[in-house]
Amino acid sequence: MAGAAVRVEGLTHRFPTRRGPLPVLESVELEIAAGGYASLMGPSGAGKSTLLSLIGGLEPAQHGTVEVGGDRLAGLSRDGLAAFRRRTVGFVFQHFGLLEALTAAENVALACALTGTPRPERRRRTRELLAAVALAERAEHRPAELSGGERQRVAIARALANRPRLVLADEPTGNLDDDSTMRVMGLLESLPAEHGCTLVLVTHDRSLAARAALRLELHDRRLHAAAA
Amino acid sequence: MTWRDALALALTGVRRRLGRATLTVAAVALAAALLTALLTIAGTAETRVLDELSRGGPLAGIQVAAAEPDPGQVDQDDPEPGPPKVLDDRARRRIAALPEVRSVIPVVTARMYVVAPAERPDGRRLDPFLETAVGIDLSQPSRLPVTVVAGRLPAPGSATEVAVTSGWLERLAIDGGDAATVLGTEIEAAAGRLDGGPGPDAVRGRWVRLEIVGVVAQEAASANLLVPLAQTTAARRWTAAGTDGGRRLGLSPSPYDGLLVVADGLDAVARVRARITEVGYSTSAPENLIASVERYVGVVEIVLTAIGGIALLVAGLGITNALLAAVRERRREIGVLKAIGARDRDVLAVFLVEAAGLGLVGGVLGAAAGYVSARAVGGVVNGYLHEQGLVGVTPGTPVGVLFGVVAGSVALALLGGTLPALRAARLPAREAVGGT
Repeated sequence: MAGAAVRVEGLTHRFPTRRGPLPVLESVELEIAAGGYASLMGPSGAGKSTLLSLIGGLEPAQHGTVEVGGDRLAGLSRDGLAAFRRRTVGFVFQHFGLLEALTAAENVALACALTGTPRPERRRRTRELLAAVALAERAEHRPAELSGGERQRVAIARALANRPRLVLADEPTGNLDDDSTMRVMGLLESLPAEHGCTLVLVTHDRSLAARAALRLELHDRRLHAAAA
Repeated sequence: MTWRDALALALTGVRRRLGRATLTVAAVALAAALLTALLTIAGTAETRVLDELSRGGPLAGIQVAAAEPDPGQVDQDDPEPGPPKVLDDRARRRIAALPEVRSVIPVVTARMYVVAPAERPDGRRLDPFLETAVGIDLSQPSRLPVTVVAGRLPAPGSATEVAVTSGWLERLAIDGGDAATVLGTEIEAAAGRLDGGPGPDAVRGRWVRLEIVGVVAQEAASANLLVPLAQTTAARRWTAAGTDGGRRLGLSPSPYDGLLVVADGLDAVARVRARITEVGYSTSAPENLIASVERYVGVVEIVLTAIGGIALLVAGLGITNALLAAVRERRREIGVLKAIGARDRDVLAVFLVEAAGLGLVGGVLGAAAGYVSARAVGGVVNGYLHEQGLVGVTPGTPVGVLFGVVAGSVALALLGGTLPALRAARLPAREAVGGT
């Protein structure tokens, strides 16, 4: 499956607060080629996660255009955005975002269930994905029984459950030690080549960001090419 | 997301907060138990009171006297009858043919000399005495105004069994709570007749030995002995065969002393009574009393239901509170669900299924506990009633009440869960990310 090209034009976003709207993004322009790998850096509060949310359809853009794989997100209903996320996007969070009461396999299977995958196919796909992140033998473990690196690998397996064309990783190694970081990054960076999807990585780590083909930095609410 | 997936997710949510879920279920169960018990007790109390009014017979039962109606008293439950009037088979057939009459059972009484056990429990001797026996067809006990307090009714065709009333116990100075002590004792009874022997008042008796098999409360006639119809019919025949046709011994010229008429339903009682009055006989039935009691019991039932309902409402608020807390705690989890593609209605379904599940489990446990509690209360009440020499009660919980309480618990849980579920469904998917 081909990755999704991402195009953002004139994106402006404000957070509503009690003291009035707080500007987060101003006229952001961005273009990532299908199957590309982009990293996004910036200080805390710069709006990295907001930009990722807007690209991933977690919230609608207030001003400007977001287009992913030819789909314009503006004007989509809440259900429409949900369908877009289900079809097109895989998320990997810093906090892993696994459901604590479910096993690793159940977490992955849940993502399959949301796409309407039949149960036998769900089981097969879950086994396949957990094997791909080298966690087949930990399938029946709950997140609390896994290390940080293992949890993030389960999260990556879950993100791939719907065969996404775009994977958005929000500081996926923020809670991991060096070994786990390398293993998780190896997995993520293999996605464009092995799964054909576009990868956007938000990170504070310059060395990790430097590994991306397209390096971006958010500061003063605007997006800039990152310094080498 | 399918309902099965929603159920699985709701179950995992419950498992994670098992303590809170248990407390919530306990609150619903307590409320449902209270409602079930109150409805059962109210229903049983109503049945018991109405049974007492009709002395165990059908509520639609009417007593017809062998007398003309008093025009000034026809609307009363228990009117004074007018002059005696022969109640024979012709009258019986006419009444049986009236609209809305389900059955007609004849009542025949007989005056008898009775020799009771030689000594009363207090040691005093009891001389032979004159007593009235009422004979009715005992093959249809549910249609008779008779309540068994202890033992059983005489067998329908028996010539040797008798049941006695509380009046008999009083004569023997036996406390109502000890009614069962007379069971198995034997009495001798005789219908008399003047047979022209030595002296103008020479009476010859037709003696029978009877075993007391039951203690009853009866309103078929004013009498302390209850026997199968054949016994009193034979006794009357004996008396009537005397030289004076039984007149000096007080034998009524009417073949039947009364009829027990069962109407098609409570609402038909007034019409049937009016028709029997037109035929020319005095009737009595506790219809006004039953209607009044029904109204009062209805009010009590409403009040008890309201108390149970309020308890259930409080439990519903408990569900709302528990689920609101769950939504607060699971904001990020809900965000993640949405990030991986769950729609608002998927999240709504998860929380509604969780609420319904809590309501269902609580409702089932509560209905069961309420049923058991009502039985326990019934046991205590029975003990008290038996001590008083009264008939016990069997608390019956209608299946409808049990299903209603469970369904009500689920409905209330869904109602209580709607607000948290809507709140969860409307949470933005961005909750998954947090920060800026």
